[in-house]
This record gives sequence, structure tokens and C-alpha cells, in this order.
Amino acid sequence: MNNRMVINYTPGPTLLHKLSGFTKVFLFLVMTVAIIATYDIRILVPLLILNIIEIVSMKPNYKPILIVFAITFVTVTLLGNVMLFLVSPDAGLNNVGGNHILWQGPGRLYISKEFLWYMFVVFIKRTTSFASVMAFALATTPSEFASGLNKCGLPYKVCTIVSLAYRTIPDIANDFVNIRNSMMMRGVEMSKKASVWKRLKNTVYLLVPLIFTAFGKVNDIANAMDLRGYGKHKKRTWFAENEPTKWDKIFRVLTIVLLIATVYYVVMYRFINPWPAKFWCPWLAREEVISVNAIDTIFFMDWFKK
Amino acid sequence: MANKSFGQKLLGTWNTRTIVAVAIGAALFGVLMNYGGIPVFTNTSLTTAMIVPVIIGAMFGPLPAFVAAGVGNVIADLIGGWGMWFDWSIGNAVAACFVGALPLYGAYITEGVFEVKHAVIYAILCALGNMIAFGVVTPILTTVFYGGDLNVTFLQAFAGSLSNILVEVVIGIPILFLLARRYKARTNLEEE
Repeated sequence: MNNRMVINYTPGPTLLHKLSGFTKVFLFLVMTVAIIATYDIRILVPLLILNIIEIVSMKPNYKPILIVFAITFVTVTLLGNVMLFLVSPDAGLNNVGGNHILWQGPGRLYISKEFLWYMFVVFIKRTTSFASVMAFALATTPSEFASGLNKCGLPYKVCTIVSLAYRTIPDIANDFVNIRNSMMMRGVEMSKKASVWKRLKNTVYLLVPLIFTAFGKVNDIANAMDLRGYGKHKKRTWFAENEPTKWDKIFRVLTIVLLIATVYYVVMYRFINPWPAKFWCPWLAREEVISVNAIDTIFFMDWFKK
Repeated sequence: MANKSFGQKLLGTWNTRTIVAVAIGAALFGVLMNYGGIPVFTNTSLTTAMIVPVIIGAMFGPLPAFVAAGVGNVIADLIGGWGMWFDWSIGNAVAACFVGALPLYGAYITEGVFEVKHAVIYAILCALGNMIAFGVVTPILTTVFYGGDLNVTFLQAFAGSLSNILVEVVIGIPILFLLARRYKARTNLEEE
């Protein structure tokens, strides 16, 4: 079970690990905003390369990352694209704004150059998002995450929830495995032998003891925290938040540059001089792009029109 | 809990006990999300994690349930390492808000009150909350954040909300009855 966990509980030795919590959280938030705000491959590919460099620089254990990536690739990308092709083959026209048909299938099915481009860009976008989360998860310990969030302005009680939840996850995961094993020993079938409906009903026998053991600890922990004066003051300092080092300052400046670049890009290309379609495409000039209103593409909008 | 105002029931009281319970709920959410699921569809599995906001909501109110589901989902994503999908995290948190609204209509689990009429309202709210969260919030966010196709997202969200409603009703109602019975056994004092 533990070999599937990607997040570290102890800080690692490399440069990125040694940055302070706020630097990492800030970089991650800005990176996420940049990935979410842009549908442009000219921005996404550099960000992807940057994140891959970050991951490689931390010398992680690649096996769990690659396994998770493979699972995500099969479920999200492969199945998602097959569904996309069956459900809305117009996605290329709607999002990229062109219709160079490569293959005309039966009925309304067809493959256009723009459809493939759309699939490719969405794949890059999701992979970049995946890589940035992975880089963040590898670099950050739970306490650093909580202290960084606090420095970003989140109330410290919410930050306590984050770090406390991380702290209790190994305990609860152990309880979960123990309870499941003992329940299976008593004849409650959880494996694939039982039907989905049977498994669903059997889950009740597993969840009730799990909920009671987990929430049985609440009073003890809360009393211990109250006795140590938790929640008495409006502010709180964090053990994991250090004085910023030279590298922290460099990374913070770089993050601010990324933030300014993202805001500039969004203002320039979405509001002042907007590209007519959602996705930029190398072989379509601005005049050729057919712009489609996203609302009109939903399948049930046709029913209202009739 | 019965004599609190509507606002207090909605927001919950944020003392140390609530914070610890929400944290443990978030951890439980993360564990169940990672290890307690049966896959059904792309991006979606028959996850038992959505039971956690029900319990938190029953004990503390909708807002704690919202926080537990939101934080729990982010943590689950970080532990599982499959990337952080804010569209689904926010959708889950919104659904949790509806599912965890038990004290608002008089189902006080910690005082042993959970009857058939509460179960009916709970089931209706499950359906409503999941429809709003995964029929409106998640598809819009998916399109805005990740440029996903609206039709595909609607289908996925439909499957996701169906499986959530199934889990919340089929597993949730027996657990709520059990919990209420257990709490009732502890608070068996009556005023004369």
C-alpha cells in the first residue's frame, strides 16, 4: 500500500526539496493558474518541459509515477478520446475552428486535422497539469504544504486540517486494511468474486467499524490540542516555515515573472486581441478560423431549438 | 443541536473538535478514494468516499462537510498522484454541501434522531446535490479549466453522479440508521 504513495513525509536532499513551503505552494498555484488559463501549445510545452526538469532534478523513484501515469493515460486519454470521437466528432471544429476532413466515416463520424490537433493539445494540457502536481507532491512535505497555504492567506485552522489529515492518513489506511482483512476472514466477500451489488452492500460492514475507529479518536486528539492551547490566538507560526534563503528569493521572483506573463497573455490574447477560437492552431490563419459558440455545441440545446 | 439557529446549523461551530473531526474526515475521504473504489467509467469510479461528507454533515453541518470533501479530494489526488483535477474536487465539495445538510431538516444523528422521513429527504437531496454539482458545476469547470468537450463531460458527469447517488443511498442510509441507533443508546436520558 505504501509503495503507491507519491508524497513524502520527510524532506529530501535536492535543491527543490530545500525550498521553503511558501515558495513551493506559490509556485504550484501560479503554475496551475498558468496551465488552466492557457489553451496554447506554445505556452503549455515550455511549462511541461519545466515541470519535467523539476521532477528529474529531484531524482524520484520513477516506478509509482510511471504506473500512475500509465493508468491515467489509459483511462483519461485513450478511453476519453474514443468517447470524444463517438460523442462529438465536431470537437475539432468547435474548439479549433477549422474543418480539414481526413477521413469520412459512417453517419456523422469523421476525423479532421483539427480534431487530432484538439486531442493532442488537450493531452498536453492534462499531462502538464499532471506533471506540475507530481513535481509539487514530490517536493513538498505535509507540514510545508500547510505552512505555505497559511502564508498564502488561508486561515490557520484550515491549514491545520490539511496537516492533521496527512498525519492521520497512514493510521487510517492501516485500520482500513486491518478491518477489511478481518471482515473478509469472517466471510464478507469484497473481491471480484461477488457481484457489484453484493460488494456495495458488503461495504456497509466495512465502513461502519472504520468510521467508528476513525472518529473515536476525535475527542482524544481535540482534548490534547485544547490542553496545549490550540486556537487561543489569532495567529500561528509554523515549525516548517524557515527564513527565505537565496534560492527561495530567486524562485519567488521567477514565480512572479510567470504570474505576470500569464496575466499579460490572458489580457492580450483573450480580451484585447482575442483569437477567434479557443485553441490556437499552426495551420489556420486568423481569417480562416470559424468561431463557434460553446453553448450551441451541447447536445441538448438542439432539443430547445425545435 | 435542535435549539441552534439556521445559520449556526449551516456553518457549524468551528471549535477544536470540529477541526479534528474534519481533518480525520478528509483523511478518511483520501483513503477511501484511493483504496475503496470500484471503477465504472472514465475518470470515475464507484467510490465509497462520498459517505464521509454524509457523516461529517450529520455530526457538524454542511460547511464542515464541504471543507472535508474539498480538502480530502485534494489530498487524495496528491497521494494517488494522478494529477489534481479541480473541476472534480469542487464538484465533490458542492455535492458534499447538499449531502451533508442533515441537521438543516431535523436529522440530528448525534442525538439519535433519524427517521424514515429524514431518509426520504436525504435521498432527494442526494439526487439534487449530485445533479447540481456534476450536472452544472463540474462540466462548466472542466470546459473552462481544461478545455474538455462539453458533451463528453456531461456523459462522464452523468455516470459519476449516478454512481454517487447509488453509493450515498444504498450505503449511506443503513449507516445513518446504525449511527443514530448507536448514539441513541448512549444518550438514553429522558427529561421528566
